[in-house]
Amino acid sequence: MTATLSAPSWRSNLRAMTAIARKDFIQYLRYPMNAVFNVLQPLIWLTPVYFLGKTFASPVGNVGFAGYSGTTDYMSFILIGTVLANFITTVFWGMGYSLKTEMDAGVLESNWAAPVPRPVFLVGRTLASITITAAMSVVMLILGAWLFGFHVSGNVLAALGVAVPMLIALYGFGFAFAALVLLMRDANTMIDVSNFLVTLLSGSQFPVTVLPTLVLLVSLALPLTYGFDAVRGLLLGTNTLLPIPVEVLLLIVFMVVMVWVGLVVFRRVERRCRVLGTLNMH
Amino acid sequence: MVAHETLSRRSVGSDLRAMGAVAGKELTIARRYPSFLIAVLVWPVLLPLAYILGAKALAGPHGGSLPAFEAATGTTDYVGFIVIGTLLWGWLNMTLWDVGFFIRNEQMRGTLESNWLCPVPRGALLIGATLTKLALSLLFLVISIVEFRLLLGVNLLQGNLALTLLIIALIIPSIYGLGIAFASLVIRFKEANAMVFLVRGVFMIFAGMTFPIAVLPGWMQAVAMALPLTYAIAAMRAVVLNGAGLADIRGDLLALVAFGVALPIVGYLAFGHMARRARRHGDLGQY
Repeated sequence: MTATLSAPSWRSNLRAMTAIARKDFIQYLRYPMNAVFNVLQPLIWLTPVYFLGKTFASPVGNVGFAGYSGTTDYMSFILIGTVLANFITTVFWGMGYSLKTEMDAGVLESNWAAPVPRPVFLVGRTLASITITAAMSVVMLILGAWLFGFHVSGNVLAALGVAVPMLIALYGFGFAFAALVLLMRDANTMIDVSNFLVTLLSGSQFPVTVLPTLVLLVSLALPLTYGFDAVRGLLLGTNTLLPIPVEVLLLIVFMVVMVWVGLVVFRRVERRCRVLGTLNMH
Repeated sequence: MVAHETLSRRSVGSDLRAMGAVAGKELTIARRYPSFLIAVLVWPVLLPLAYILGAKALAGPHGGSLPAFEAATGTTDYVGFIVIGTLLWGWLNMTLWDVGFFIRNEQMRGTLESNWLCPVPRGALLIGATLTKLALSLLFLVISIVEFRLLLGVNLLQGNLALTLLIIALIIPSIYGLGIAFASLVIRFKEANAMVFLVRGVFMIFAGMTFPIAVLPGWMQAVAMALPLTYAIAAMRAVVLNGAGLADIRGDLLALVAFGVALPIVGYLAFGHMARRARRHGDLGQY
């Protein structure tokens, strides 16, 4: 029997995903100003951080900061955090918000009538944006090296290896988020605030050890915290919360759990929406 | 025959009525989407939090780098220093979105052309909407001040309160003049989101939101001096954190007065130009 779209196989799912990604990519290229602002926006947000660092700096650098992090290279610490946070933002908005735009455009029901598993739709919607974010991040780091003196001394390949389970764990978050969007429909403020809180608490802009004890406990419960920590430990030689191999193991466990929980929640909510017939409401 | 005051025969009274009607309509729309209240409640504290925690890390575990901060700013209260910057920047940001998008939203909804056919000066329609946005901004300011006190332990009412209120009053015409000029640009260039990012980014980089202007390179300081927000942030920090008096911030206040006169005029001229241009080109309904 040949694999067709009506008898889904992994190959047909892959085709569906690339078709969605190609469509998103074409849409992105139609608004070239966006590309410029995707690079400029994080640099604009980083400038006040850079000058804040200057305000605290003594002639020998940010020694106070080194007391917490183990490095005086404040801006490299921040830039690595910003790049990882960009990926978090991409998955949060890519999965949650893409459902919202499809609801608004009135194409969600018809798309979902296609013989493609719904999580495949969600993953497909993030492929183009993940690729774009990766390209933008490279440009941003080059500009960061020029403007803010960004440089790394550690093992870049090992750091990328750590970032992969972190990214997959994020997809678990993304599925659960998509479920919330299906339930609540108006999701902008929710996605915006959660994205901000998650990136903040996992230490995109500072070592989490500065957090008050209770908030630190929340931070330590987030898998992303260990991702940020391990990547920085590998690239900048910063103090890490736990030994790096333990952090990587935690990330892998979190990855499996988060993806499983996210998928279960998403499937349940999606079934409930189908029963209630609320998919086309927005 | 006695001429009756009607809308087709305009008077000051009819213009004011139109302004009031637009202000009321905008208020009704705002009340229909109460989710904006969540944003107003959450963002004043969330926005400075990343900078405050960053500053805590920079200060070091035992505050070892605080003397460097004090030497640059005249205070060790980095939390108060940062929230004053983010509060005023947040206000400008909110105005750019609200006032800037007022005309744009009417355009998107398809009501701009029909509204502009009314025998009412177009400026009155814009000012009416601006009044509502101003009222909502003042609500944002009050909520921020209360939250800063309760959650971050920063009392923005300390120091000379009359001077603080004067600074807030003096920055209002600048912020809304900018908002109106910005709204006109949005109609002209149509890329609204990108333009908000650009304009608010300029203020974020140059106006000293999280740092003293003195740490900027010379050319950046020159740009900072051309922005009204720079003076408002510096003056408010001096009054609230350093107990400055009128004599200490006289220069900042004069600059704010000058911007407060100039920017509404710039806004008015830009709006007039945009309105004439749109009528000439007939592209008011296009977006």
